Amino acid sequence: MSTATVTEKAVSTAPATRPATRRRFRPGRALATVVAIVVALAWVFPVYWMLNSSLLPNVVLTSTTPRFLPTGGSFDNFVAVISQGTFWPALGMSLAITLTTVVFCLLFAFLAALAISRFRFRGRASFVLAVLFIQMLPAEGLFIAQYKLMSSLNLLNSVAGVSILYIAGVVPFTVWMLRGFVAGVPIELEEAAMVDGLSRTQAFFRITFPLLAPGLVASGVYAFLQAWNEFTIALVILQKEEYRTLPLWLRGFVQASANRATDWGQVMAASTLVAVPVIIFFLIVQGRLTSGLVAGAVKG
Amino acid sequence: MTAVSTPARTRQDSPPQQVRHRRRPVAPYLLLVPTIAILLLALGYPLAWQFWTSTQKFGLAQQFGKPPEFVGMANYVQLFTDPQTWAVVGRSIAFCLVNAAVTVIVGVLVALLMNAVGAVTRLILQIAMLLAWAMPVIATMTVWIWLFDWHRGIVNWALTSLGFDFTNHNWLEQPLSFYFVATVIVVWMSVPFVAFSVYAGLTQISEEVMEAAALDGATPRQRFFSIILPMIRPVLMIITLLQVIWDLRVFAQIKMLQDAGAPLASTDLLGTYIYRLGVGSSDFGMASALSIFVLVLTVALSFFYVLHLMKEDS
Amino acid sequence: MKKMLSAIALATASALALTGCASGTASNPSASTSATSAGPQNITMWVAGGDTPQELRDYLKTTYNTKTGGTLTIEEQSWGDLVTKLTTALPDANNTPDVVEVGNTQSPTFTNVGAFADISDMYAELGGDKLLQSFVEVGKVDGKNYTLPYYFGSRYAFYRKDVWKAAGVEVPKTLDEFNTAVKAIAEKNPKNIKDFSGFFIGGQDWRNGISWIFANGGDLAKNEGGNWTSTLSDPNSIKGLTQLQEIQKVASRAPKTAKDESPWLYINDSDKIMDGDKVSGKTSLAAATIMAPGWAHWSIGDLVKKDGKEVRAWNDDKFGVFALPGNDGKPAPVFAGGSNIGISAASKNQAGARELMKIIFSSEYQQMLGKNGLGPANSDYVSSLGDDQFAKALIESASNSKLTPAAPGWAGVEASGKLEEFFSKVADGGDVTALAAEYDALLTPMLNAK
Repeated sequence: MSTATVTEKAVSTAPATRPATRRRFRPGRALATVVAIVVALAWVFPVYWMLNSSLLPNVVLTSTTPRFLPTGGSFDNFVAVISQGTFWPALGMSLAITLTTVVFCLLFAFLAALAISRFRFRGRASFVLAVLFIQMLPAEGLFIAQYKLMSSLNLLNSVAGVSILYIAGVVPFTVWMLRGFVAGVPIELEEAAMVDGLSRTQAFFRITFPLLAPGLVASGVYAFLQAWNEFTIALVILQKEEYRTLPLWLRGFVQASANRATDWGQVMAASTLVAVPVIIFFLIVQGRLTSGLVAGAVKG
Repeated sequence: MTAVSTPARTRQDSPPQQVRHRRRPVAPYLLLVPTIAILLLALGYPLAWQFWTSTQKFGLAQQFGKPPEFVGMANYVQLFTDPQTWAVVGRSIAFCLVNAAVTVIVGVLVALLMNAVGAVTRLILQIAMLLAWAMPVIATMTVWIWLFDWHRGIVNWALTSLGFDFTNHNWLEQPLSFYFVATVIVVWMSVPFVAFSVYAGLTQISEEVMEAAALDGATPRQRFFSIILPMIRPVLMIITLLQVIWDLRVFAQIKMLQDAGAPLASTDLLGTYIYRLGVGSSDFGMASALSIFVLVLTVALSFFYVLHLMKEDS
Repeated sequence: MKKMLSAIALATASALALTGCASGTASNPSASTSATSAGPQNITMWVAGGDTPQELRDYLKTTYNTKTGGTLTIEEQSWGDLVTKLTTALPDANNTPDVVEVGNTQSPTFTNVGAFADISDMYAELGGDKLLQSFVEVGKVDGKNYTLPYYFGSRYAFYRKDVWKAAGVEVPKTLDEFNTAVKAIAEKNPKNIKDFSGFFIGGQDWRNGISWIFANGGDLAKNEGGNWTSTLSDPNSIKGLTQLQEIQKVASRAPKTAKDESPWLYINDSDKIMDGDKVSGKTSLAAATIMAPGWAHWSIGDLVKKDGKEVRAWNDDKFGVFALPGNDGKPAPVFAGGSNIGISAASKNQAGARELMKIIFSSEYQQMLGKNGLGPANSDYVSSLGDDQFAKALIESASNSKLTPAAPGWAGVEASGKLEEFFSKVADGGDVTALAAEYDALLTPMLNAK
């Protein structure tokens, strides 16, 4: 089946037909809207609750009657959390590791995706199988081996050490995801551009790369989320306080307060701080992400 | 960035498409080198270590330098003769299937909803999903545990306000209600990914086809099963597989719920059980044996599915 | 294989380094260069949790620097991840911390596998028999000292004076009186609050629950010729467990799965100021008595506004403390919380680490511990804790406190969650004798596991 034609057709028809449907009144539409709003509220509530709580003082939070609006709230919790001085280094560490992971993961996965979607070669099927199955290894028993590995390579407490493990964890699924996108870009397009006088590199950047961008964004989001949220590997490899990533920092925060009187307001403020960069990242790539998933979906 | 030009250069060296199938090109192997290298480096040694350790009596003393004793399959024998292992395996499979199924079904429903409503409502729904998706796991668990807290949790408060007496009801006390809470959380976290992917698939279905079907008198139900479902089938297949893999090895959510106060033995799933054998009891031989077993189990469970997936792919 | 691995590693690592992302590569030059004990050594100390205040950490750093010329780095590890990190880093000579704080109950597990250096020769110099002996015991293997006590804390009772008074009961002098009193309060429920506990103790809370076993002359395990046996079925243990079950049944409304976290929430009033005028009349007060570590008093009290913030302020009219009494005139043997400290056997900086140990056990530092509410290891300095009611209750309860068995597998027992399971089944009203026998059989092999 020619996936490329499906994409083109879908892309051309979808936006064109949508306004047409809006003209007719659909009785189900009102009901669907109500249901959608309810679902949206249900999904957003825990996020709202985190925000709300982060603005309230702890004594209010430990009462049995919930306060639904942060009336009388303040940014005190945020100030208290940030003034400990450990947030910024952790943010820097998380950004360094996450960006390293995303860049290398996309690069490696892109090359591999190119290989398996543009070439037929011996070992191709086994490679794809291995890529799928390798994700099934449970990570909970690996920590001693991972520590020993990184210790012998002298990569403990380093961005590189953690990133290597993260890339290996994320790359299998990314290969699988990108494979569909690469297959969807017809090589003929590139060749036609070269006939028109573009060099191979120019053709790649002007023709192929823009078509791949949504796929790279979608896989990049996946890699970003995985690297940003991971904490069991980080816990073992980054033992020094100054190399903590944000999840470790947040975990330390939750655990420290579990031993003493839990300051829920501060824990929620800390949680919010960890979530904010992800939300900013999502907002930046949001448009691309949806189109990326759209394009990727056709090829499955 | 020089890296992107690499594929271009390689392609230049390789002959045109038709010839590619006949000769054995070097290019694809070169392209795979980085991925294979990093997988070998990061997973090769740990996997080998794990396999080797699973055949040894390896505890904390061995970790501190005492030579380990080779015990062959003894760890596996002990593992398979322990009824606790099978209880955990059974619970994990059940938990994984229920969660994957609920996640995929709810995800598809949310996607259909996105498709059915106007642009503004859709945006609201999408933003809500994005926010939930963006929440870090630790933050998510902290909030949810708090929502379900027995004494001051808002869930109990709301149910009590609605006239049910849930004052001081402890959700984590009974395994079934523990798993219910875990399922709610896991589904909440996983649905956005499924919903977005499926919604992406739905937007590919041309409106003309749907309208034509409607004019032919097809019920919404018929339209869903004969038009929509076949179209989003490839997405559904891969997403279902991923959910099964991810839910079978669910760890962080269960561990944090247990830490919040739940009976350990009756709520352990494979992830936490491996953790307890390893970190908890320092029995790394057994933990490794169980890890290898989980790997084999997952491969076995999904083998035909994956084969099918690959056949469709090519 | 190894060769290939390092080749791959080198390639990947250099690829990562090229992009400039590989900041902060592991640095341990200090460890290798100063291996000879002649020059000043830069050492690392791991403290567990936030219990060691900043003032004390600064003191250690400055003093170490003045005394040796070397630098001391203090790294805080959270309790929940301590075992994972000790397991990986402690055997690794290139990355091990030099001086390490471990929980007193975790100490036997690590000392038994040789994780710590033998410091028997320093024992007398560091305080000798003045040191808290029950803690010294868990740091000993075959008569040699590997870890020594760092600080202790123990749990005592916090109670609501107003509720006890309203129920017409007095502060108990014996454990039997305590048991009767808390049951009476729960039955009378003077404030008429739903699910009110005379004494709030979670079903899984074995750390407080074992006090009843200890107070009746029972124990968790005994050591006979190097072999550990779980002794929950001992008649004295059974007696204590039965009393505990009775309390769980009548006096406590805590969830059967609750542990010992944040019990102070339940003896505070809280809702009175809620939402301005709309006082709901509800209160979060749920218990008349709790057992908690001493520092809990910072979280107990009336809600007051201070500098525009709502905080808890201790109120002597409403709240009080006492050490859980035993039946023999002495305080009941409660679980002794606290930490041990030792030198990593793999450390290349033994000389520096030993200097730091001397600073920690100096009279200045011991008194600083006491002033910060942490029980000093050396009994000569216990008076530094002060003489307010909290210090008195702490000293009194600690005077007869007791530790969990120094069995090699103890950390495994704790991590397995079996004790939580056992205590919650007892709390649930199970047959104590049958349960004790069942868990004895389970625990005995775990105790001896190395």
